[in-house]
Amino acid sequence: MLSAPGLSAHDIPHDVTVQAFLKPEGQRLRLLVRVPLKSIMDVEFPRRDHDYVDLARVDTALNAAARAYVANQIDLYEDGSPMPPPRLVSTRISLESDRSFTSYEAALAHVMAPPLPQSETLFWEQGLLDVLFEYSIRSDRSRFSIDARFDRLAQRVVTALRFLPPEGVSRAFELEGDTGLVRLDPRWHQAALRFVNLGFFHILNGADHLLFLCCLVIPFRRLRALVPIVTAFTVAHSITLLAAAYGYAPDALWFPPLVETLIAASILYMALENILVSHAGGLDRRWVVAFAFGLVHGFGFSFGLQHTLQFAGSHLLTSLLSFNIGVEIGQLLVLCLLVPALDGLFRFVVAERRAIVVVSAIVAHTAWHWMADRYAVLRQYPWPTVTAAGLASVTRWLMLILVLVGAHLVWRARAKNWSSSALPH
Amino acid sequence: MTHQHSRRLRTFWISSGAVGLLVALGTGQAWLENTAAAQARTSVQAPRFEVDPLWPKPLPNHWILGSAIGVAVDADDHIWIIHRSSATLGNNEKTLETKQGECCAGAPPVLEFDQAGNLLRHWGGPGDGYEWPDSNHGIFIDYKGNVWIGGNGGPDSQVLKFTKDGKFLLQVGKKGARQKAGAQAGQGEGAQTGFAGGSNDEVSFGRVAKIFVDPRANEAYFADGYLNKRVAVVDADTGKMKRWWGAYGNKPDDTPLPPYDPDAKPAQQFYNPVHCADMSVDRLLYVCDRVGDRLQVFTPEGKFVKEAFYAKRTKNAGSVWDIAFSKDPQQKYIFMADGVNEKVHVIDRQTLRELTSFGDGGRQPGSFYGVHSIAIDSRGNVYTTETYEGKRVQRFVSKGVGSVSADQGVLWPRSAR
Repeated sequence: MLSAPGLSAHDIPHDVTVQAFLKPEGQRLRLLVRVPLKSIMDVEFPRRDHDYVDLARVDTALNAAARAYVANQIDLYEDGSPMPPPRLVSTRISLESDRSFTSYEAALAHVMAPPLPQSETLFWEQGLLDVLFEYSIRSDRSRFSIDARFDRLAQRVVTALRFLPPEGVSRAFELEGDTGLVRLDPRWHQAALRFVNLGFFHILNGADHLLFLCCLVIPFRRLRALVPIVTAFTVAHSITLLAAAYGYAPDALWFPPLVETLIAASILYMALENILVSHAGGLDRRWVVAFAFGLVHGFGFSFGLQHTLQFAGSHLLTSLLSFNIGVEIGQLLVLCLLVPALDGLFRFVVAERRAIVVVSAIVAHTAWHWMADRYAVLRQYPWPTVTAAGLASVTRWLMLILVLVGAHLVWRARAKNWSSSALPH
Repeated sequence: MTHQHSRRLRTFWISSGAVGLLVALGTGQAWLENTAAAQARTSVQAPRFEVDPLWPKPLPNHWILGSAIGVAVDADDHIWIIHRSSATLGNNEKTLETKQGECCAGAPPVLEFDQAGNLLRHWGGPGDGYEWPDSNHGIFIDYKGNVWIGGNGGPDSQVLKFTKDGKFLLQVGKKGARQKAGAQAGQGEGAQTGFAGGSNDEVSFGRVAKIFVDPRANEAYFADGYLNKRVAVVDADTGKMKRWWGAYGNKPDDTPLPPYDPDAKPAQQFYNPVHCADMSVDRLLYVCDRVGDRLQVFTPEGKFVKEAFYAKRTKNAGSVWDIAFSKDPQQKYIFMADGVNEKVHVIDRQTLRELTSFGDGGRQPGSFYGVHSIAIDSRGNVYTTETYEGKRVQRFVSKGVGSVSADQGVLWPRSAR
């Protein structure tokens, strides 16, 4: 079954990448942008035989495309104030194999260089539009923000933006679609606010985290009982979230599906424990379980955070801690609603023990299906090869754990002796 | 007193056990470190990969692949493959197409995938203004984004150029040009009576296996091929022949060669098929003499530079099927598909010495059945396609350079070290 050429061509491209550099220098800010020509649907580029671009007559169309598809789709702000429209300095067409946009200097030199020879045979949809704009600014030390609305260029648009402030620390952003206002060099409180917000909505949108929390607290609806459990969960997920953000998580393909499977397993375990252990006294070690599973959930949080850390600017730690604060605020909000609701349910609708069993059974059912689905993905990745170096690493960790457990036991025994010796004889 | 004594005794035993365990772990750890160090001494530094079993995503419309005989990566890191579709599907594989069942139908021959494994564009097949090959073979995306296709069917003596949307741009050579009444079947895969090699023809070709376009000179290099025994160079815009040569830079000669003998003096002509011709960043052209188990290196003008043999005792269809260069600026490594031994050989490009290999025969992720073509994206991920009944494309995710053994076998996913 053969299809005729061109039948499946899309009017709007499936996905494109826009490359951009933004560099403030003195009283001038330069914006270099590269957009695939296939995204520019409403500008007619003059063509010759075989639909090759007629490079002798293309300048007017290029300038129109640069204004309509780049300048008009970008708003820049200096210290929060909108900047005046830019000056179009240069446009040109490039071949798609051109690699000048790997650095600012090369891209600038390329955009200012002579155009392609007019005899070049370039099919119009396979070229790139390169543009240089200049904005007048008050100072290159100002705080700049950008709002780039390139989402109309394709079904999926990724903007690879590099901001080059005068201090020389280049910041890379990978923005997808229309991401709204992006502060290129946020102050700490701006980054913190953004990440508190992210953490808050991340927990509220994460059905699995919420179900886990629900199972965790169903049998414990008093503040005193909840504090150690929620604290243990929080501390644990903070540890792994920070570890992952600083690059200490495995980067193997199987790791994300493993974590997702373990998260589902954690919910299932909690739900089953709620069903099988009949009173809160039998759950007095729940903080330990909460801590263990909190470590797993922290990795889960980190996956959600991977693509947003670029907005932290130079405040990575602040942003991570803020994200955690957002998560905690979300958790507290859920608990504030959940605990009275459960209390009311148990007091007026159905007996506590029966309700715990029913609610936990429903959660267990859901978690079982999640676990099965996620395991089906995970099992596509066979287990890692066991190597001597890998085993040596595991042995080191076991030794460290043994020492820590030993130290803990010694400390506990000492504490017990001290407290018993302090009692009056 | 007795209670206190038994407590002390218990504490003693627990402490002794813990110390003993610690000592045992320490000893074991030291032994493992030594073993690991010994393993490191016998291993080499080379790029490491993990197979990605979830790439690409399933095709729509109950489409399946036929023998997959070409793969290329474009400037957007999209992966293009060409396969033989229905022509290589058994009746039991295409009941939707034959209206005898619900699955499946051959996918269009040219398919484009994004990095996520989504199928983007799909096209190919006969059309107005050009002669589609009887048997598709090889795909290349040039520096202007154009798609080049060869063919190794009986009468295929032409090469085609399209836009990425499948709009026809250029045909080089005339289909059927190698037809010669009464000609004996030549050698190698696909040999047929009624066709004769014409390795000094200035217009048409003899079943071109692969294409490479040199951006600097705007010249297209053809691995020509399954019937001819040469590298041919044409102008990439006009298709006008510029030069050609055979093994060692000799004038090509279509006289049949004796079967490949690993112990004999190397043949002075290429065997069929001449299966790849790819240029490196330092402008050396690497040519696959598939059945001859050798890679020959030339200047762009056709001056012989050097050669090397791989899995030299391999007979049958040979060991040197296709190559791709690593993506570092110096292109330090060559990755070579070997569809008989079902491996990818990893080669140091400067010395042409094989460092390691991965893969093995089989149908599971990471194994191969007729690994035919190979390409690399800008992140260093390797893509392979499989011919015969392999009929698939696989992705091997780059995990950086590290210590690996000489023969890595099937590359399962593993932890990053």
